Amino acid sequence: MNQFVLQHGKSAELLLFPHILEVGIRKNGAIQLNAFPATVTQCLRIYYIMDGRFEWLVDQQPYIFYPGDAALILPGTPFGSDNGVLEIGSFSWIHLNIQQLDNGHLQPGAWSGLSESESAALGKILSLNGSPVISKCPEIGKILRCIHTELFGNEVGYQASINHQVDELLIQIGRKMTRQSHSARDFPKSFMKLEAALRQDLAHQWTVEEMAALVGMGTTLFNERVKSYSGFSPINYLINIRISEAIKLLKRPEITVTDIALDTGFYSSQHFSTTFKKLTGYRPSEFRKNHLRNK
Amino acid sequence: MKCIITIELGTNGVRVFAFDLNGRVIGSMKGYFPTFHTEPDHSEQDPEQIFITTLYVLKNLLNEHIHPKKHEVACICFSASMHSVLAVDKSGNPLGNAITWADNRAKKDAQELRTTAFGKKIYAATGTPIHPMSPLLKITWMKNRDKERFRMASKFLSIKSYIIHQLTGELLMDYSIASATGLMNIHTLDWEADALKYAGITTARLPELAPVFTTAGKLKKAYLQSLRLPPETKILIGSSDGCLATLGDGVKGEGKATITIEDSGAVRVMGPSVLKDEQMRFFNYLLTENCYVSGGPTNNGGNIFEWFSRQFGDFTNAFDIETSMQQLMEEASKVPLGSDGLLFLPYLLGERAPIWNAHARGAYFGLNIKHERKHFIRATIEGILYEIYSIGKILAEQRAIKSLSVNGSFGTIPFCTQIIADMFNKPVKLRPQLHSVSFGAYLLSATEMGIYKSLDAAAQTVELPGVYKPRKQNHAVYADYFNIFEKLSVKLFDEFEAIGSLQQKYSVK
Repeated sequence: MNQFVLQHGKSAELLLFPHILEVGIRKNGAIQLNAFPATVTQCLRIYYIMDGRFEWLVDQQPYIFYPGDAALILPGTPFGSDNGVLEIGSFSWIHLNIQQLDNGHLQPGAWSGLSESESAALGKILSLNGSPVISKCPEIGKILRCIHTELFGNEVGYQASINHQVDELLIQIGRKMTRQSHSARDFPKSFMKLEAALRQDLAHQWTVEEMAALVGMGTTLFNERVKSYSGFSPINYLINIRISEAIKLLKRPEITVTDIALDTGFYSSQHFSTTFKKLTGYRPSEFRKNHLRNK
Repeated sequence: MKCIITIELGTNGVRVFAFDLNGRVIGSMKGYFPTFHTEPDHSEQDPEQIFITTLYVLKNLLNEHIHPKKHEVACICFSASMHSVLAVDKSGNPLGNAITWADNRAKKDAQELRTTAFGKKIYAATGTPIHPMSPLLKITWMKNRDKERFRMASKFLSIKSYIIHQLTGELLMDYSIASATGLMNIHTLDWEADALKYAGITTARLPELAPVFTTAGKLKKAYLQSLRLPPETKILIGSSDGCLATLGDGVKGEGKATITIEDSGAVRVMGPSVLKDEQMRFFNYLLTENCYVSGGPTNNGGNIFEWFSRQFGDFTNAFDIETSMQQLMEEASKVPLGSDGLLFLPYLLGERAPIWNAHARGAYFGLNIKHERKHFIRATIEGILYEIYSIGKILAEQRAIKSLSVNGSFGTIPFCTQIIADMFNKPVKLRPQLHSVSFGAYLLSATEMGIYKSLDAAAQTVELPGVYKPRKQNHAVYADYFNIFEKLSVKLFDEFEAIGSLQQKYSVK
């Protein structure tokens, strides 16, 4: 396919797809100055390299991309090349308008066929992932090609097909990213990474699907492995961390019990109180009275 | 029916067992808690998570195995890993995380103290080798480099002391745990003034010392209610994992030694006198008055084989390291013993006994063009076990060893147990279930309850049904290779240090 750009608001092809802000292919035969400056947008950008070698800055960090690699740029992250130089080669891209929640998680819109917990899990993976490089992932190129063909072909069912392909794109990226960051040889290491992610965002209403997705496992295998490794189901292990953190906070006088409950991921102070008492025999307020620092 | 519950606060989590009064296991459960490495040499655990996990697992065990059958809990007995330090403020609340045995932050102080006459004096008095694992050095490190925490610390506890303090309000440290702090005089059974002075503390900043049979107060009302236990439930302070594993294998009396190989390992003997050693290679910990558990620890046990499996094993199922390790063991069993002359130094994590060299590193030696992948597998296993043998060998210079027992997840793999028997040229016994530490805690509890007259009598009842017999011709082969292994382990002293510092210099963060 030759090079092209379609843009939301300018190109009729995208009228049915308000969530696709831009899509295109660029084939660059000679080095060009000021053709690829660093920009910041509020959308999710995915670039797939077909030919050549590109040195791009993502969040001011230089990365090198080779054919088969893709770059994933999160909303609000500066992306472009140093001094705006565009190197020789070709690539395709798509910009997606994806809602970003207050806590930094990404949520696709109503067009998506992903369930709420699936999209929460994918959003989590995308936003927690450290590296913008998805290496050797020809599936992404294939999906982008398919979207292009559908956009220009307008065959029956193309609207559903394209939305479906965009979902597939997010799924493939999510799966590839967890596989990239988790060796299937080292469960303890993956578990520690999960632990750290849970602690970083204890207030989040974690589901087992999200947790499993973060370590790149299906929920059945995940449940089984966590149980045999930790002695607890994933949710009970999470409760362990929640109560342990709550105990630390209860020992500091300046935070209210309600705030502690919400900060550590309980629905309400009532839910916190019941869970806490069931395990420790104390209501949080009683526990606090007995343990307050420097009483 | 009455039962005894044992709680083992280990490196990776807590294990709770329920025994009937005859020592049969009624049920067991475990719960994991993590170790945090916020800096390269740091190794910490969250005391609140340990407490909550312990409570949770205990509660689940009671609800599943004890209460439905109307068993009556006569006693709850504790065991714990050694060498942990937790600073608490004057309200008894933790100042940061607990520092575990594996923490190396005090390595510089340890290196300095180890070579001095004062260091040797402290070692002789306290029985704890001068090493960064020792709470003596961790507290000293805090005094010099974490001054705020040191100043705020009202007391320095062990993890077990903290857990018991939460449950009953008592502030105690048992002889076994205390004797592994480098702060307790194992001959006078009191805190050692010289050591305390070195660490910059007084006895007021340590818990009260208590024999292992001490009742550590009563469970607080809230826990009696949440655990549904009667107020008369006895809380026994108990001992350390090392001492209890030795007791649990019945290693009391002449000529017996026990080998533990979990992630790390140790070879231990038990007796009425300490092992003296100019080179400070042995520990001497207290089980009870006049009963010392002595031996040498290694950093490199099953964790090294796990490392190998992770790198070179086949993983047909994701995350299934057990199958991968099993397949490697099978492959290794097809290689002639001695691995056709391929030797492995297992010092991937530096080493404690017998060479006590934190800079030591791993090496394969003797490679020739005929060696295949499978030789590496067997050499790795043999290397880990030669290292165990080298500890046993220096122990045997002071104590005659006639029979051996093995415990721990790696040591009890049949392939490994047979190699141990062959290397030592001694019969090796083992327990089919893997719970020597908890069984030791059961024996301690049962003795306290009067079921056995003494720990000696309790230890004598221990029967280890599995026996592996040594094969003479195999021993001869291992002995030949061991000569070279032993020489290599000290020959590379300068190069170990040199490569270690280059590894640090060029390490990319």
